[in-house]
Amino acid sequence: METAHKRPNYILIWIYLAVLTAAELGLAFELPITANVKLALLLFLAVWKALLVGLYFMHLKFEKWNLRMLAIIPIPLALILLFAGMSESIW
Amino acid sequence: MTTVAATAHATHAHHDDRSFIQKYIFSTDHKVIGIQFLFLTLFFLAIGGLLAMQIRWQLAYPGKPMPGGTLLPETMAPGGVLLPEYYLQLVTMHGTFMVFFAIMLLLVGVYANFLIPLKIGAHDMAFPRINMASFWSAFASGAVMLASLFVQDGSSRAGWTMYAPLSARHDYSGADFGQEMWSISIILFGLSSILGSLNYITTVINNRCAGMTWFRMPLSVWALFITAILGLLAVPVLAGAAIMLLFEQILGTHFFDPAAGGQPILWQHLFWFFGHPEVYILILPAMGIVSELVANGSRKPIFGYHSMVFAIAGIAFLGWIVWGHHMFVSGMNPTLGSSFMVSTLLIAVPSAIKVFNWMGTMWRGNLRFHVPMLHGIAFIAMFTIGGLSGIFMAATPVDMFIHDTYFIVAHLHYVLFGGSLFAIFGGIVFWFPKMFGRMMNEGWGKVHFWLTFIFYNGCFFPMHIIGMAGHMRRLYDPTVYDFLKPWQPMNEFISINAFLLYGSQIIFFVNFWWSLFKGKKASENPWEDNGLEWSCPSPAPHGNWETLPTVYRGPYEFSAPGASKDYLPQNLKLPTDRDPVLTPAAGH
Amino acid sequence: MAGAMSPPFPAERGIEVYNKKLGMWIFLASEVMFFAALIGSYVILRFGATGEWAKPGIVLSIQITAFNTFLLICSSVSMVKAYAAIQDGFPDKMKFWLLMTILGGAAFVGIQIYEYIHLIEHGFVPSGFTEGSHLAELVENGTLPAATMGLYGSTFYTMTGFHGFHVTCGVVSMLYLYLFKALPGKYTPQDFGGIEVVGLYWHFVDLVWIILFTIVYLV
Repeated sequence: METAHKRPNYILIWIYLAVLTAAELGLAFELPITANVKLALLLFLAVWKALLVGLYFMHLKFEKWNLRMLAIIPIPLALILLFAGMSESIW
Repeated sequence: MTTVAATAHATHAHHDDRSFIQKYIFSTDHKVIGIQFLFLTLFFLAIGGLLAMQIRWQLAYPGKPMPGGTLLPETMAPGGVLLPEYYLQLVTMHGTFMVFFAIMLLLVGVYANFLIPLKIGAHDMAFPRINMASFWSAFASGAVMLASLFVQDGSSRAGWTMYAPLSARHDYSGADFGQEMWSISIILFGLSSILGSLNYITTVINNRCAGMTWFRMPLSVWALFITAILGLLAVPVLAGAAIMLLFEQILGTHFFDPAAGGQPILWQHLFWFFGHPEVYILILPAMGIVSELVANGSRKPIFGYHSMVFAIAGIAFLGWIVWGHHMFVSGMNPTLGSSFMVSTLLIAVPSAIKVFNWMGTMWRGNLRFHVPMLHGIAFIAMFTIGGLSGIFMAATPVDMFIHDTYFIVAHLHYVLFGGSLFAIFGGIVFWFPKMFGRMMNEGWGKVHFWLTFIFYNGCFFPMHIIGMAGHMRRLYDPTVYDFLKPWQPMNEFISINAFLLYGSQIIFFVNFWWSLFKGKKASENPWEDNGLEWSCPSPAPHGNWETLPTVYRGPYEFSAPGASKDYLPQNLKLPTDRDPVLTPAAGH
Repeated sequence: MAGAMSPPFPAERGIEVYNKKLGMWIFLASEVMFFAALIGSYVILRFGATGEWAKPGIVLSIQITAFNTFLLICSSVSMVKAYAAIQDGFPDKMKFWLLMTILGGAAFVGIQIYEYIHLIEHGFVPSGFTEGSHLAELVENGTLPAATMGLYGSTFYTMTGFHGFHVTCGVVSMLYLYLFKALPGKYTPQDFGGIEVVGLYWHFVDLVWIILFTIVYLV
């Protein structure tokens, strides 16, 4: 059951998402920054957008902690697989 | 949606006017689905065993025509002599059928489906129609896999682990469409498994009856619940990998193709990331079942119930970070390899805790050596042997020598047969009355147990020895190697035991089928057990109970001081018991 | 109270989230792992590739896909507005926003298919590039790196293909709910779990695309 909360302003979130997407597009084109910085910024923006969708549209911000745990548990597992696979290329 | 639960409840309480097809073919009743899985999996167990018999013939008598071999097509066994191509299909499909369609479906498809709602006091699973979909997709998956043996050029033959690019290219493996069928079958199987998992998890979380708190749940339910979580998160990775393999096979992608920048080791990481949680899926429910059988047979509470729960959770948790121990000789990153060695050695600890706790349960118990108890005790002993051999493999420097030898084959069969399969047999005998309303024959059950136990050890124990001597896995003809020639009599000994082992299963088969129709009619609680499933009639009716039970205590109150009998069912209200706090649960 | 209902029989409290919603979250957890396998493989392969990777925008059209991304985000907003509408007791508004979501999702899939056809015509296929195609010329004159085109094609089609498959399943489910539940007026402020549950799935699909768009098209 969701805890009683004020409903988020979905249109406002939509505007945030649109702005972040535009920022990503801006970054994608030639800018005087190194590839690694660009990658980090793009990933940061993508994660921020994903969090907005997860927390507000999927209402995770207002759910109980145990449902949030359920949603979060796969992420460390996915990261473990990812880092193990990537480690093969660095030796 | 609000009223569905209410109307379903009402329907169960009154008449059952479903058609034959709705009752037995496309049923949404968890018990019927569990029994459908039982028949499906026993069939695949028999097929897997038949494939193993052919493997053992070839190893004992390489190059000699196999009895019945002339029934096979010329492309597989000309004149009854098995060809290497066919032999590799045998080892591949034996592994595939046994791991996926026999053991996994027996433990999860049968027991999770049949037991969970009964043991937590629910009318059915949270999503009965998804449950039905799960069975039929498993059926379709099995059909595709079986059919792959009969297509042109036969089935896949890259080992049940399907290492790419061997499994990806027809020109490497020699198989044709059979390869793609393996991938397609596994994708279907993944769908079935994920649908099942989400049902079991939701049901256990939300559909427990009043008084059935988390720490009053039987260990079999805990084990099945945690197994479902493992399956939920590991099987999708297999599905993804199988899809990538299928695309490699039919679309010409290059994931695992080194010439185009792909990585063969990527397949291994993906497969074993699934594969290791998979082996815990194959053992944890068996451990849960053993807890039920041993507590019942010892007439004592499980020793250390809470630590048993935490041990299951610990095994499941650590199981995510040990997969690299299957890859020690792959050329993987050595630092990563070392971390896997440490975590693998650690995972022995919770398993050992469980073994000690079972022993503590039996200690000074009022032991009843009924057939399920015999199987439970055999599990404890055989699983321990399998676990001990596992320690050798966990140590990377040792594994360098024993990887891909028969030492590994011995280990895996000790845990999967000596462990899982004994638990399965015990479970089938134990819950047969609840499934079918009759008892299996006790005397023949004991004969079957002892013959199986003796021939199983005769078959698999020597494999440790020949493995240490260097006998490789998936080997077509050991006699081409001089160093293996002296061990050939041992191979013959193993094979003879294997043939007798398979033959002994006929006793189980006949006992099972005969008892279905002519077995002694069973009472509600023939084993004098405490679980909720024993508080409804045998066989359990559609809907399980008219009124759901209320639980007042834990599941292992055997030989409780002051009780009139040596067991105390969970739902029996004593004058000293309080009613649990009844909350209007949001689950339903 | 979203989809709340009390059972006719006493039971343990559970997680206090109704079954269908809990089931959907559990299913989404498995989907995270599924996409982790596909997307993880892409990252692993690209990270480990010895040659250069194709620069963004040469093979794939960033402009069209950026619009498509925006479209999917809009459909996520319309989905949540449908959910809010029925929560507040406006079934007609809910039907409108649900229809908008279906149309947005269908348009996304349509544009993806259009892109695929366009790409295949230019020679971009799962195995890399076809002989004698426009892409083959770009490889020849060095605009595109020959060594990694095979991986590029393999990973692109697998990831976006399965995402597109998931979007399609979402559109079909929503259409089913729209035609057989929403239009006949079966949703009320006391019972609209189907909307919430399909909404969760739809937001998840949008979330995955947010990640995919960035790491496949922009990086």
